[in-house]
Amino acid sequence: MSTTTAPRTAGAQAPAVTRRRSGPRAAEARWGMLLAAPATIHTLLWIGIPIIVALVLSFTAYDVVSAPRFNAGDNYAQIFQDTIFWKAVVNNVIIAGVGIPISMFLALVFAVMLNRAIPGRGIFRVMVFLPHITATVAVAMIWLWIYSPSSSGLMNTVLGVIGIGPLPYLTSPSLALPSVILVTIWQGIGLKMLIYLAALQGVNEELYEAADIDGANFVQKFHRITVPMLKPATFFILVTSLIANFQTFDLIYILTEGGPANATNVVTYRIYQTAFQEFRFGLASAQSIILLLMLIVLTFFSRRIVGGTDAD
Amino acid sequence: MPTETSNLAPMGSTPGPQLTAPGRNPEHAVHGRSLRRQKKMGNALMLLFLSVAALIMATPFLWMALSAMRDPTEMAMVPMPLIPQDWRFENFTETLERAPFGIYARNSLILASAAAILNVTFASACGYALAKLRFAGSKFVFGWIVACIMIPFYATVIPVFLMVRHMPLFGGNSIFGQGGIGWIDSWWALIVPGAVSPFMVFLFRQFYVGTPTELIEAARLDGVSEFGIYSRIITPLIRPGLLTVALLSFEAGWNNFLWPLLVTTSENLRVIQVGIASFRQEATTDWHLLMAGTTMAAVPMIVLFLIFQRYFVQGFAASGIK
Repeated sequence: MSTTTAPRTAGAQAPAVTRRRSGPRAAEARWGMLLAAPATIHTLLWIGIPIIVALVLSFTAYDVVSAPRFNAGDNYAQIFQDTIFWKAVVNNVIIAGVGIPISMFLALVFAVMLNRAIPGRGIFRVMVFLPHITATVAVAMIWLWIYSPSSSGLMNTVLGVIGIGPLPYLTSPSLALPSVILVTIWQGIGLKMLIYLAALQGVNEELYEAADIDGANFVQKFHRITVPMLKPATFFILVTSLIANFQTFDLIYILTEGGPANATNVVTYRIYQTAFQEFRFGLASAQSIILLLMLIVLTFFSRRIVGGTDAD
Repeated sequence: MPTETSNLAPMGSTPGPQLTAPGRNPEHAVHGRSLRRQKKMGNALMLLFLSVAALIMATPFLWMALSAMRDPTEMAMVPMPLIPQDWRFENFTETLERAPFGIYARNSLILASAAAILNVTFASACGYALAKLRFAGSKFVFGWIVACIMIPFYATVIPVFLMVRHMPLFGGNSIFGQGGIGWIDSWWALIVPGAVSPFMVFLFRQFYVGTPTELIEAARLDGVSEFGIYSRIITPLIRPGLLTVALLSFEAGWNNFLWPLLVTTSENLRVIQVGIASFRQEATTDWHLLMAGTTMAAVPMIVLFLIFQRYFVQGFAASGIK
């Protein structure tokens, strides 16, 4: 600093100190709010308000044409007796209960294998992951064709080799749900594998080296190191899969439209039917509130079951 | 290399040097060799297993591609030849004649690009503020964003639809949102409700948390404005994160189905996923055409994924493992 500027800085000293205390801090606070505002306002507007509106509408009868009419808890009472709605809930539970464990297991197997340095693992990863990146509508169209009831359908061709069929997979009350589950497994492995792979990369190699020295075999290492180390990932996958499972819609819309006889109806599709085919928006709102409650309960329960350690 | 084994000195006492020491015991050498052979066999088996599994995973896509280029007369043959006897690319042109897939693709492209741009702009701003700036209510905003992630779209779809339909002064609506169709069948409806995804805000926050705070402080001392710090100093540091969010948003936009299905009616605004669903009503059993259409809807995302695999994977993994 030269002497010529010294008096000027000295003169500006007093206001500069206060500005340094409050000025930059105030600017930070102002810009913090300003930058956060668009996203916050947008979500309050398009998620916050709708939740409140859904809650209010769930206590009304509303067909869009005439104004909503308060009907106390009629909708909830009706849902309680709605066999189709509960059938849909049960279907979601079955799809989750069968599909998620199988796809999680397969995802883990793939992840453990692909975590090693094997030739072409990049290609394998892509192959397993592609179904996740593809639009569910496109996926459903492909499987609709695979499940074609004619004997030229791929599934019927393949199973025809061992003398099964031809079968009407998607129109048979007993086969439709398993057919849907197979698609969810096929589409669900990729993301789960990816999360497992990321988690495996976080496992300290030294643990395995130490186990090797102690003479542990592959199964012991898997059981004692891999599985415990993957617990947070497993918990995360389970929760997100459960939540995603209860949001299955596109697949059902294209594959079965909930049929035959609601054999593959799911909660989201039931809500869609109630609102946009039967125009009972009050009842559908009550259904979506129940869906939301189920998901909240699910999240808490799975946390307890797996003993989630999502401490960040 | 049979010499590369350890001697029979008690294991565990000093394991380190023993493992690398040249061995003298022939019995152990044999054991080591068979172990290595076992490992090789294991690797070969694993490769075989993976190849079969990958083929099974890829089969539906191969089936789609093969069917899209099949002659329709071949489809009726029993058994259908596995590989098409002549490749029929006319299926695609015929599909384009029967349904305006070009318009569908254009609409999906606009929708997906808008989602990507809006999310990168607004979610990054909010994510940066949450990660790096101290301001009143930041705890509330963060809690709110996390809560929003947990709320499924299906729980709010009905009110959102009603809000869009009763948007005041649009589509013939009065100031009270009555009388018309509001935003229904417009770009507003397609783009605005999904403009900011709370998950992307969260993802951006995670990206920004990893950037050096000292840099912000240094820039402040240098007199860079708060917005300048955000836009010109810190955000360039998370460029891969920007691409990740852009790609994930684009993917969600391209693959979106229910919302466009609900709010658009005219063919001019129909997106590709809804386009396939409607084409299915029209082409019913013309599977060679349906698969050609499906290919057009699926392939762009597959190509995008293959090009930007690393960024997609980063996004999907970051969503899980912090």
